[in-house]
Parts: sequence; C-alpha cells; structure tokens
Amino acid sequence: MLFLLGPCVLYLLTFSIYPLIYSLRLSFTDLDAAGGGGDWVGLRNYANLLVDPQFWNATRNSAIMVLASVTIQIVAGVGLALFFNLHLTGSWIVRGILMLPMLMTPIVVGLMWRALLNPDWGLVDWAIESVGLNPPDWLGSVWMAMLTLVLVDCWQWTPFVLLIVFARLQALPQDIFEAARVDGAGPFVIFRRITLPMLMPAILFAGLFRAVDAFRSFDLVFGLSYGGPARGTTTLAFFAFQHGFQFQNYGYAAAISYAMLIILIVGTAAILRYLRVQPVDRS
Amino acid sequence: MKLRPGRIIAYLFLILLGLIGLAPLVYLGILSTKRRIEIAAEVPPSLAFNWDQIVKNYAEVLYSQGMLSFIGNSTLVVGISTILALLIGTPAAYAFSRLRFRGSANLANTILSLRFMPPIAVAIPLFIMVKSVGLQNSYPGLILPYVAFSIPLVVWIMIGFFDEVPRELDEAAMIDGASHYLIFWRIMLPIVRPGLMTSALFGALFIWNEFLVALYVINSRAYQTISMGAATLISAQRPIDWNIAAAVGVVTLIPILIFSLFVQRYIVRGLTAGAVK
Repeated sequence: MLFLLGPCVLYLLTFSIYPLIYSLRLSFTDLDAAGGGGDWVGLRNYANLLVDPQFWNATRNSAIMVLASVTIQIVAGVGLALFFNLHLTGSWIVRGILMLPMLMTPIVVGLMWRALLNPDWGLVDWAIESVGLNPPDWLGSVWMAMLTLVLVDCWQWTPFVLLIVFARLQALPQDIFEAARVDGAGPFVIFRRITLPMLMPAILFAGLFRAVDAFRSFDLVFGLSYGGPARGTTTLAFFAFQHGFQFQNYGYAAAISYAMLIILIVGTAAILRYLRVQPVDRS
Repeated sequence: MKLRPGRIIAYLFLILLGLIGLAPLVYLGILSTKRRIEIAAEVPPSLAFNWDQIVKNYAEVLYSQGMLSFIGNSTLVVGISTILALLIGTPAAYAFSRLRFRGSANLANTILSLRFMPPIAVAIPLFIMVKSVGLQNSYPGLILPYVAFSIPLVVWIMIGFFDEVPRELDEAAMIDGASHYLIFWRIMLPIVRPGLMTSALFGALFIWNEFLVALYVINSRAYQTISMGAATLISAQRPIDWNIAAAVGVVTLIPILIFSLFVQRYIVRGLTAGAVK
C-alpha cells in the first residue's frame, strides 16, 4: 500500500499542501517586491481587505459572474441535451463541434472573442448591423462587459452541462416514459415530473463543477477584458492575480487567495448540505 | 421521410448551433491570414487568400516572435509532467479503488478537492520554493508544480476507470498468489489503458493552457511556454496587431485539436469524470 500511495501523498504534501500552508503564513506578512521584508503583521492584510472597496467590487463581480453563468449554462445545457435527445440525423457531428470550445485555451478564447466583438470591424457587430439592428458596446461599459464575459463563458462551457445531462438522459430507463405515456401524461408533465427529477443529480453535479471553475478561473478575463473597463470585470481570481503578479503584493494576494478559499469551502459545503447530494457517489 | 415544419426548424437550429460553435474558430483562422490594414478594411473579411501573406504572418509568429521554440518548451514540459503525474497518480487511484483502509475516503476526498483549488493560492509559494532551490528559468521549475496540479486530475479520472474493472478479476489473481504490485502492473494497467489516455489528455491540456505559474517562474525567453507567449502578447501595453494575435491563437490551438483528434473517444469520458457511472 505504501508503494502505491506513498509517492502521491508525499508529492502533494510537498507541492500542494505545503504551498497552501505557506500561503496562509504569507497572508500574515507584509512581503512584497517593493521592499516589504515579510515581517509578521498579524491580521492587517485581512483588516485592509475588509475595508478595500476594490475587494468588495471583485467579490460582487465574482458573485454576479458565477451566478449568471451557471444559471444560463444549466438552463441552456438542459435544453440542448433534450434537443440532442431527439437524435436528428447528423446531430452527433454538431455535438462533436460543441466539444471544441471546452478544449480551447481560455486566454485564446478571450482573445478570439475580443476580435469577434470588436466595435470597428468585428464579425458579430457586422452580422447584427446587417440585419438592421444596433450592436451593443460589448466591452465598452461596466455592465455590458460583465454580460459579455458571462456570455463568452457560456459559449465555452454550456456544452459541459449539455454533455453531462445528455449522458444521463441516455442512461435513463425508457420503460418509465413508456408507462407515463400509456397513463396519458403529456410531454410537459413527463418532463416536470419524471425527466427533471431523474436528471437532478447530473444537473447539480454539472452546476457545482461550473460554479467552482468559473469562480477560480482568471485566464478568460485576462484574454477578454483584462478586468476592465473601470474594473467592471475584475473578479476575485483576477484581483488576486493583479496583486500577486502585477503589483507584487505577495502578502496581500495571499490574503485574497485565502478569502477565496474560505468562500469556496463555505460555498460548496453549503450547497452540498442544502441540496443533500454527494459530488462523487462511490458506493 | 416527410419534411414536417417542426423537423425543418429543428434542423435549422442544429445548423445554427454548429455555426455558433465553429464560426468563431474559423474567423480566427481567417484573421490570421490577413494583412494588418485588411482587418479593419474588409468587414466581413474576404475569403480571397493571399498565400504570401499567410506565410509571412506565420513566419513572423513562429520565428520572429519565437512561438516555435515556445511550442518546443511547452511540448517538453507537458510531456514530462504528464508522464510523471500518471506514474504517481495512477497507483494511488488503484489503491483508492481497491484497498479499504482507515481514512481512505477522507484522503481520497482531500486529494480530489485539490482539483478545485485556485492556482493563485499556491502560485506565489511555489515560485518562492522554486527560486530558493535555484530552479528559476528552468524546465524542472515548471515541471515540479505542474505535476502537482495534474495529479488530482489523474487520480480523479483513474478511480472511475479502476472502479469499472470487476473485482472478481483481482480476487482471482489474488487467490493465484499474485501481489497487489503484480496485479496492478500486469492485470489492471492494460485494462485501464483508455483511462490512462484520458488522464493524459486532460493533464496535458491543463498544463498546455497554464501560464500563471509560468509567469512567475520564467522570465527568460529561452524557457517561455506557448500560453505565456499568448499572455505576454495581450498584456503588452500597446495596441494588438490582430493578424499576428490571431496567428498566435491558431498556433496555440492547433496542437490541442490534433491531439484531441487522436484521443477523441476519451474526451467525453474525461470531461464528465466522476459524473457518470
């Protein structure tokens, strides 16, 4: 057993757990690249965090981004899964195409959409104008940029929900639907009373995964909007990146990371408890 | 087959979905073939390709901007890190799937939860650690952290594959006197080959896309990775040359697309690891 588990546990202790603890220690120091020597400052970083309007702005942005993205992705993903469940000829090709965005480098996805949405020559604006409508200023205003970030995240990750829910749909026993039809249930009743409850575990799982990944990712923001305009798309992950890399306030960045970890742990625990599901059913 | 209106609408919707998925990529590809001034001048971009310009753009990206050597660096780092992560993670996944010991569930969950950790939470300490042993600007400086990032993915995916192998198989081998070590190498590994491919794909994908730790550890162009190349292009404080940026995007994506063609059967399985039995 030591043979099998030893290397894995030892490696993660050294290169994951130890850095995590190190990070916690850093969050109590003033270490930065400008001359902060890493002296112990107790809870000062955390106290500063709580009165830093930028921190609350980033927290709010993260909350909006995660809630909006996950909601849209779940609704659209379930809808698409039902659509693909019609098994139209050739639909597997489109399903294959929709896998591609998930494999793409997030920073390139951001860059690509910045080109597509360019106000002067972007393809999307041209398409909207050619049907006689006025395209919005995608990345130009605080609110619109957040919406754009959400939409791009949905473009990349709705297929993830689709994939998981579709797989679950394929695995559902068909005789239940047969019986319901024989009993005279219409398609809406069947969906509401049978399909949806049976899909619920898969939906919750996909939603939880998406929420965590949307919360911790900063590279899409990096490529798409670099946190702007006016910090309108600066999420917590991007905020932490800015302090950790751009401004090199290592202690402060560590405190932000720990705030994120606390939100993550409390958030997922609350969701799991509230929904009474286990993410990985290993029975 | 009769074409009812509902069916026609369904097919139109299907085509629209395909377009939404594919058109952005195609657009990026087209932009990468243009001259800088053509991008603002031709809306939508014309499909008349100028081969000399294509060669010029990609030569600039691959040679002048150094993307070819970045691809080399990335390939090396991704290759070694993925192999190491598989070597370390797979036996652990086997243990979690087959051996019940006190605290095994807790340990497994702890390892799996590392998959959800924001990379920024460990990037700075990893950087300080790597620096303190003098591995800044070196391949091992990237590989050591990347293996740690990939292991939870590998364990996560492999547990699912091991769980699917009937226990009767190793019980039979056990009765014949085979050790766990022997069962693992001789019996299990050949069976879970698809799982190894799947975890290799997703481990490699994660590392290929990663640039946060790389930004800290590497500040010499000689060791830059491909996604760092894309990142520095964006954060540079000058207007973006979109034809070049698009070519950088294409160059970053093409190896992924080629690799995933080879392992396409496992993509779905990897993405939904843990979700579907």
